[in-house]
Amino acid sequence: MASSRIQATVRQLSNTFKKKSRFDIGIASELPPAYKKFWREWKVLKPAAVHFIPQESKWKRDELTGETLPVQNVPIPLKHPAEIHEGIWGGEAVIKGFQKRSDQRRRVPHYWVPVLKRTVVRSEVLNTHLSVTVTDRTINLINDHYGFDHYLLKTPACDLVSMLALKLKKQILIELMNGCPRYANNPQKQKEIYNEYKTYLSSYTPEEIEWYGLTWYEALSKVAKQKEAQNKPVPLKNIYRKKLVEKLKAAESEDKNDATEEISTTTSWLSKMNPFGKKDEA
Amino acid sequence: MRGRHFVYDLVEDTNVVKKPGMKIILNQFIDGVGETGDVLTLSPAKAYKNFLVPGLAVYATPENIAKYKVDENKPKDKSNFSSPYVQRTMRCLSRLVLQITMSKTEPWTLEPWHVRTSFRKAGFVVPEDTITMPPVKISGPDLSLQEKEFYVTVKINNKEEVNVRCRIHHWATGLEKLPWDEFHWKKPREPLIPEQAAELANIPLA
Repeated sequence: MASSRIQATVRQLSNTFKKKSRFDIGIASELPPAYKKFWREWKVLKPAAVHFIPQESKWKRDELTGETLPVQNVPIPLKHPAEIHEGIWGGEAVIKGFQKRSDQRRRVPHYWVPVLKRTVVRSEVLNTHLSVTVTDRTINLINDHYGFDHYLLKTPACDLVSMLALKLKKQILIELMNGCPRYANNPQKQKEIYNEYKTYLSSYTPEEIEWYGLTWYEALSKVAKQKEAQNKPVPLKNIYRKKLVEKLKAAESEDKNDATEEISTTTSWLSKMNPFGKKDEA
Repeated sequence: MRGRHFVYDLVEDTNVVKKPGMKIILNQFIDGVGETGDVLTLSPAKAYKNFLVPGLAVYATPENIAKYKVDENKPKDKSNFSSPYVQRTMRCLSRLVLQITMSKTEPWTLEPWHVRTSFRKAGFVVPEDTITMPPVKISGPDLSLQEKEFYVTVKINNKEEVNVRCRIHHWATGLEKLPWDEFHWKKPREPLIPEQAAELANIPLA
């Protein structure tokens, strides 16, 4: 009896209790939905299968025993070294694992590292050539998308992975939002480029573009900076100075009213004092 | 999860798989390649490196096909050359300064087989019957020929004709040997035959 009641309580609690996500703690709770959207695209979405061949069906039958087994498609855990953010690897990354080179031998640790090459990519919107570290897959993807800008704009952040690509994407979006100012000397080309790429703008609002491609710490510091700018503390000395000036002004106007009251006419004993006179005079 | 759960096998290395050809459209005339609107099918790496990055071509998207009015069934205008490589051969031959080595001591008269041998020494296999000799008889030894030049005409594939600049060098051993002239192939020389002067001036001296 008691145990079932405990179970029920646990069930109820587990339904009501919500674990705090990273967006619920501290200053992160003030991040705008625009950044949450980017974060979702970057970290929550499942990246495309690059290092394994996904199987289509949901179930498969064992040929020997006729047993039905579920198809799992577990992605291989990837290592993202710091260098991944200095190039555009097209979703490839480093794999850490083991190789079984012979049945007679112990398995050997092995790192599978993508073949990197330095090449030039051309960005039409930015009107520049860039020298970047890429893999063959990146070049294939650029070709499949008919251009570097199309590749960046069409690919979600989880597949771009590298910060370089995300920053470039953000810059391209800003450029498009401003109507390609780099082609200001050639209005016809400017219009052509804008018309070619403007479809991508429809999926972002200006605020989302502003918050696109920011790392977690960049986003947090952006929030902190905004907050600081909003309630910037006014130094007390300024407030007091203002009050004093007002007071003095008020006093002056009062003084004018009481101008008729001369000091000499007052009978106060203080006025008779002459601190600079001689001693015996006093 | 244990180490044994991370034993991986290489299924396929996509870097070494041969990639299918990619279509691109030239957006300008390129010598030896094609004209504006021509469609090329190349390996993706070559197309990217040699044409797309320098901006000589664009991707064959439906918009670009419409823009450049590509007609894939357009008959290729037949080239007038006897072979696709003949232009290159002609360029190589016209750059050549052919040194014809002749004796400084024994008397001789210049004959086609002398020229053929000199061509072979320079790395060109030229049959004798394709060589047209200059109209005058050249005989020696005559050291004044050392400072002169003339041209012979070579017929390639019985169709294209190239004029090749020739110079005679007098060869001997020992004390008879002529002193070495540095970069002699770069220095301009007098034409041996006045009628050939205009044509020789046309051939660029590297």
